[in-house]
Amino acid sequence: MPDIAEPQVAVDLPETATQTRRVESAAVFWLLVAGGALLLLMGWLLPWFVEQTASGIGHSPMDVIVSSPTGVGWLAVWVMGVCMLALIAGLGYDVYAVMSRRVEPFRFARIRAGLAVLGAACVLLILILVSSRTELIFGNLTPNALVDNAVWIMLTGFLLIAFAYGARSWVVSHGGLAFAAVAFAIGGLFPLMFHQAPGFVVWGAQSAGIYILLALGLNVVVGFAGLLDLGYAAFFAIGAYTTASMASATHGLHWPFWIIIFIGAAAAGLFGAILGFPTLRLRGDYLAIVTLGFGEIVPDMAQNNLFGDTGGPNGISGVDTPSLLPGLGRVDIFGSDPRPYFYAILVVIVLVVLLMRNVERSRLGRAWVAIREDEVAASATGINTVTTKLLAFAIGAAVSGFAGAFFGAMLSSVTPDNFQFAVSVTALTTVVLGGIGNITGVIVGAILVSFVIFWVLPELQGWMGTVGSNVGVTQLGTIQYSDYKFIVYGLILIGIMLLRPSGLLPSRARKVELETGAESEPLAAVQERA
Amino acid sequence: MALLEVDRIVKRFGGLVAVNDVSFEVDTGEIVSMIGPNGAGKTTAFNCITGLYPLSDGDVRFKDVSLLGMQPHRITRLGITRTFQNIRLFSYMTAVDNVMVGEHVRMHSKVWDDLLHTRKARNEERVVEQRALATLRRLGLERYADVYARNLPYGLQRRLEIARALASGPTLLLLDEPAAGLNPHEKVELMGVISKLRDDGLTIFLIEHDMRVVMGISDRIVVLDYGEKIAEGTPKEVRENPRVIDAYLGTAAGQAARGA
Repeated sequence: MPDIAEPQVAVDLPETATQTRRVESAAVFWLLVAGGALLLLMGWLLPWFVEQTASGIGHSPMDVIVSSPTGVGWLAVWVMGVCMLALIAGLGYDVYAVMSRRVEPFRFARIRAGLAVLGAACVLLILILVSSRTELIFGNLTPNALVDNAVWIMLTGFLLIAFAYGARSWVVSHGGLAFAAVAFAIGGLFPLMFHQAPGFVVWGAQSAGIYILLALGLNVVVGFAGLLDLGYAAFFAIGAYTTASMASATHGLHWPFWIIIFIGAAAAGLFGAILGFPTLRLRGDYLAIVTLGFGEIVPDMAQNNLFGDTGGPNGISGVDTPSLLPGLGRVDIFGSDPRPYFYAILVVIVLVVLLMRNVERSRLGRAWVAIREDEVAASATGINTVTTKLLAFAIGAAVSGFAGAFFGAMLSSVTPDNFQFAVSVTALTTVVLGGIGNITGVIVGAILVSFVIFWVLPELQGWMGTVGSNVGVTQLGTIQYSDYKFIVYGLILIGIMLLRPSGLLPSRARKVELETGAESEPLAAVQERA
Repeated sequence: MALLEVDRIVKRFGGLVAVNDVSFEVDTGEIVSMIGPNGAGKTTAFNCITGLYPLSDGDVRFKDVSLLGMQPHRITRLGITRTFQNIRLFSYMTAVDNVMVGEHVRMHSKVWDDLLHTRKARNEERVVEQRALATLRRLGLERYADVYARNLPYGLQRRLEIARALASGPTLLLLDEPAAGLNPHEKVELMGVISKLRDDGLTIFLIEHDMRVVMGISDRIVVLDYGEKIAEGTPKEVRENPRVIDAYLGTAAGQAARGA
């Protein structure tokens, strides 16, 4: 009788890290073209949207067509529009091709890049025509309206698409770098693009910027080390209160912003480690509940005027406005203009991203992932699980300390209300949406979530008011849309769990406890049970 | 002085005595096996030696240092590493990353080095990666360096776990059923790997069920049954020991052996 053959395991096509990186870079490519198409549509439709929803008058590129006597602007707008439609149609074709697998996607990449460049050139032409006040080709059109609202946005959109298609092979092989370059460029252009809407720049600094920092910090705890933290707002509060009390009349201290921001981060980090200590033997649900408790205790202590230092329910007001350089007296670029804050927080975000990238590929980063995957094995491999976990809590908390420092300085006050449970939920939603453990992902998640929650929802009432009076349903304008933000969080979380459990941009190590249901058991718990 | 001295260790789980008064020694350069029927307390003894379970009584000394109350990572740092019976790799990491985690105790970069990516961290990272690839090569896994551990076939996962254990530069390697689940061909390969590691200067202490493997490579064998040591000796002595035959084949067979 012949021996029973041993089962042979096919190892021809094992999934490798290289393959994952390719998938990830492809995702970045999609992000770029989709973002570019979105900006194009936005640039085209935003003025119309403004006209419909606000009392101000917007000017769409269509207005240029109507009011261009020489025909040059008329032609430019038409060419621009055709380029835009062709690119968006092309994107639709790509999506169809990838989904159906019947036709090859990304064909005519060169032509598309050319179209995008042509579109960008048209935008520049319009920009020049509109800006030349001597020759009033556009009749009664105010140049600034068009330039600021639409042109910058469309220019960015065209350039984004031109970059994505023109350098597709480079983007696909250097996804992270491509995304970083584009994100930084757009970040720098953002205040220009929305020059006419200072409120949106305020949003960029105060909501998006802060939540990007919070997401980056929380990503260390939840993403890298796999420790669920529902009380992250506590460290945000500690950072904010620490810096506020060192730069206000409360203690008569007025230390320079650029020094106390680090003190705030250090204080938050210290408390991160202290509060992390009792949770060392906990995992999953239990850890979540204990951290939730911390998240509630800290703002409550501030509310109860801890040591008489936190100002009770009114918090600390009159926080100093930062000055550019501590040594050189008060060079007041910081004031009511949101742009300096925006750029300052952008710089801090870039620095934090660099630190995160470094640590992700280091001894410590590997130790975190090892603990996330299997704490007992990590310990047997020589990793000190106690200090490694505490470092995750401390570093994660320190990043939120930076956010807290900026937050207090921007609002010039710090109150317990700013650090309620909703902040922790928002931060966690951004991380889950973007892709737990992926730096690029959590930044995208933070931008999306803060855009919906802190820009669309508050503005919606005004918009719907105008729309409502236009269509005759005035009730639309009486709804407090911001009250429904928890519904939005819920919908985002349910949607992401059903459709894409590891987030929009999944982490390289695509292990998500929520997805696999497998959790690593804390060493201390194993030892205790034995 | 032996390299590892296990001195009358006792491990109780509530009323159950999993390991009772077991003593043995492992000398430098030896391959020592621990065998015994299922539930004899072999893995428990392993867990006690590596600090995963606190001892109820007794002492374990390594290079004359008591391991009592030491955390697992400190024991690893002293030079004892282990593999697990049910493979415990970091399955969402690549093979080379798994080995680089094993290098953890040999690395010196501090938190700020890692955060700031200092020259020290960069250089060390480069050296460690090369060393990790060399470790993979030593176990014939080099071409799988970039493969996620979970995608490796079972036999290679077992090997990768050994590679990870070797990465910390141990003097004593504890293997918990390294041949479990391997096919005969892989088992032969594994025996080659283990003997080669010993020739490279490592001391190896393993738990194994497969008698061909145990008898083929062991210098000495420790036999546990119901948590107690019932025999110790060379493969030949153990094979002929009536108490061992009792434990494995039942009392009748043992008596037959005694009579013979």
